Amino acid sequence: MKRPRLATLVITYAALTVITAVVLYPVLLVIKKAFEPGRQFAINASPVPSTLTLDHFGDLFGARGGHGELMFLHHAWNSLVAAAATTVVGVILSCTAAYALSRFRFPGRRAGLTAFLVVQMFPATLLIMPLYVLLDRLGLLNSMAGLVMVYATTAIPFCVWTLKGYFDTLPRELEEAARMDGAGAWQTFWRVMFPLARPGIAVTALFSFMTAWNEFIMASTFLTDDSRYTLPVLIQSSVGQYSADWGFFAAGAIVTSIPVMVLFYVLQRFLVGGLTAGSVKG
Amino acid sequence: MSTASNQMRDWGLAALFASIVAIAVFVGHRNHELRARQLELASAGAEAIAEGREPPTGVEAAGLVGAARPSPHYAFLRKRTVITEGKVRELGGAHAPATDKLLYDAAQRFDRNGAFVELLGDNSGRAVAARAAKNGIAVSVVAPSNPAGMPWLILLGALGLGAVIAAAGALVGGAARPLGLALGGALLAIPAYGWGGAGATISIVAGALAITFAQMRGTIDRCAAGLRRHKTALAFLAPATIAMLVLVATPFCVGLVLGFFDHHQGQWTFVGLHNFGEILSGGGRAFDDPLNFWFILGVTVLWTAANVILHVTLGVALALVLKQSWLRGKGVYRMLLILPWAIPNYITALIWKGMFQGEYGAINALLHSAGLDGVSWFSSWSTAFTANVVTNTWLGFPFMMVVALGALESIPRDFYEAAEVDGATGWQRFWHITLPHLRPALAPAVVLGSIWTFNMFNVIFLVSGGKPGGSTDILVTDAYRWAFERGERYGMAAAYGTIIFLVLLLWTVFGARIGRKEEAA
Repeated sequence: MKRPRLATLVITYAALTVITAVVLYPVLLVIKKAFEPGRQFAINASPVPSTLTLDHFGDLFGARGGHGELMFLHHAWNSLVAAAATTVVGVILSCTAAYALSRFRFPGRRAGLTAFLVVQMFPATLLIMPLYVLLDRLGLLNSMAGLVMVYATTAIPFCVWTLKGYFDTLPRELEEAARMDGAGAWQTFWRVMFPLARPGIAVTALFSFMTAWNEFIMASTFLTDDSRYTLPVLIQSSVGQYSADWGFFAAGAIVTSIPVMVLFYVLQRFLVGGLTAGSVKG
Repeated sequence: MSTASNQMRDWGLAALFASIVAIAVFVGHRNHELRARQLELASAGAEAIAEGREPPTGVEAAGLVGAARPSPHYAFLRKRTVITEGKVRELGGAHAPATDKLLYDAAQRFDRNGAFVELLGDNSGRAVAARAAKNGIAVSVVAPSNPAGMPWLILLGALGLGAVIAAAGALVGGAARPLGLALGGALLAIPAYGWGGAGATISIVAGALAITFAQMRGTIDRCAAGLRRHKTALAFLAPATIAMLVLVATPFCVGLVLGFFDHHQGQWTFVGLHNFGEILSGGGRAFDDPLNFWFILGVTVLWTAANVILHVTLGVALALVLKQSWLRGKGVYRMLLILPWAIPNYITALIWKGMFQGEYGAINALLHSAGLDGVSWFSSWSTAFTANVVTNTWLGFPFMMVVALGALESIPRDFYEAAEVDGATGWQRFWHITLPHLRPALAPAVVLGSIWTFNMFNVIFLVSGGKPGGSTDILVTDAYRWAFERGERYGMAAAYGTIIFLVLLLWTVFGARIGRKEEAA
């Protein structure tokens, strides 16, 4: 393609630079706040800190709760347990169903696919109130088991759809060969297809983990006892309406989101295909 | 033999349905009676205390509670005395019985709201009554009472008799077979009449008749054959399906049903379509009242449209720029530009909330340094709405950009070269080549993006928080507030949920149709 005119070049680079600056500015402000003393956000607009301190990180990691436990580690553990349990439950319960939806033909298959799709697209916030009433009745508010049940409502349909998409890409010849050798349906799945699907399962699992790790509103509704808080609830509560400590927030936000952001960058090319592939075509 | 075993299978279905209905109505009936008995006993106890008599048996604690007086040691602590069995003592204290707290709380509530009789909300089964008396408040607490046991004998007897009738019908054969099935399946309706009245009886009989009819038509046999034929697929599907039925279908149905109830202080009352009527009529509020459903719907639609348009425009524009072959540092730009997508969205929302703060926020600091006045972002609707839109645009455009980049990659080079040979202008190339190729990929992304935005709870809830006065709330955040911030109006929240679900369903069906048309085009 031929080189564009100088004016086009200048305008393009200028526009790109401005947009990139707008994208980076809030992130830089948070980094600045994390290393700058004081609880308030920013009196001046500069994204460069004037004095450096590690106090906010000290507050974050050093804060102790009512039983002398380290608060941050405690809440990180809660987050980790909730996200890991959701992932395990989601993947284990959905991989056989994803395989069946990909390979078997049976009446009700399309209806099943649509049902999983609708549940995945529609927000869990629609179910928040009935789930609250039910978990209250079952005595599962403020428990990790209850939170995992709530997270599973979105994790399972997500896993079914992404894994089904992955099984669709695997060749059928190996299965047929296994069948010829006399393997039953379960053996074919467990000995042949499951090992082949491991990369897809790993990616799906990591995405479920990220989603649960980043979830805020369910956790803040279902966990009212502050020793049960997950990290998002802890971070949000640090900038509540009456006492805001933006330094604590910034340090917490950085520590909490860096691992998932790294994961996101590694996995993002898998995400787009999966999301749009199933969304409307059914 | 096969006829008989099929008959028993069909009878089993009818009996299972009948047993579930019968047990449910029995439990409901039993709890209702127990509740009425406890409440009656509690008010009789309070009446006895007020008139200076002995409370009836079954009352756990009762007495004449005096007015609240400041404690001599701590002014903020309030003490009450109680007269039980002719003796005066202080409520609470070192060796006080545990029921003292119930007496004290009841007196507190009496001072606020007047006389009452009710079951305690702690599921203990205790009932409390408080009423005015000459020298204080007459309070009585009824001990938890054991509910009547399940009538297993009646249940088993009816089931056994039903099985015999159904089997006999099959052995006689002919018209006796469906007759036996209907009678045997409907037998539980008789005891259920005593427990739950006509509704339960009718549904059990209807269930038995429906199954009989299905048997005569051969529907059940075909279903059973289908289940056998596809049993591998069904076994593979079972874990996820059962989990979805328990975790999604149950709360979903509960939500649908709760929309017809009103919830007030732990009590559910059936109100029919009242909640829906109140929502859809706007509850008698003006159209610009932030609590009027149509106002919120308008804000939600505006919010969704503004965001999706901005996301798509910005995303496509950036994708077109990033696709230019002469651009240097594409990878770096792409990596930096998808940063907002990588950040958890509750964190993004909180960052922007901080940036839009009136006194210390970075946005106002930027305005000041440009010589402009600061804006109090969350005190008027338009600025608060703008703040929300800016935040959501920031976090949402990378998704559209990435989708558009993917679609642009799939356009063959030759198309552009051919167009250039034919002398097409840049605009014509965009309109006739780029856009038609973008549309099939963007259509599903737009439907998905609009659903996400329609439900973008975190941004609204955390950035503007509905300020000012709930006017920037969208449907999902408003439904949340009905449930958790406006005195647990669960019924209203459930009705809102149902309406939101219907709106989304319409939009998805509509959107899917557009998507299909785009694909065909």
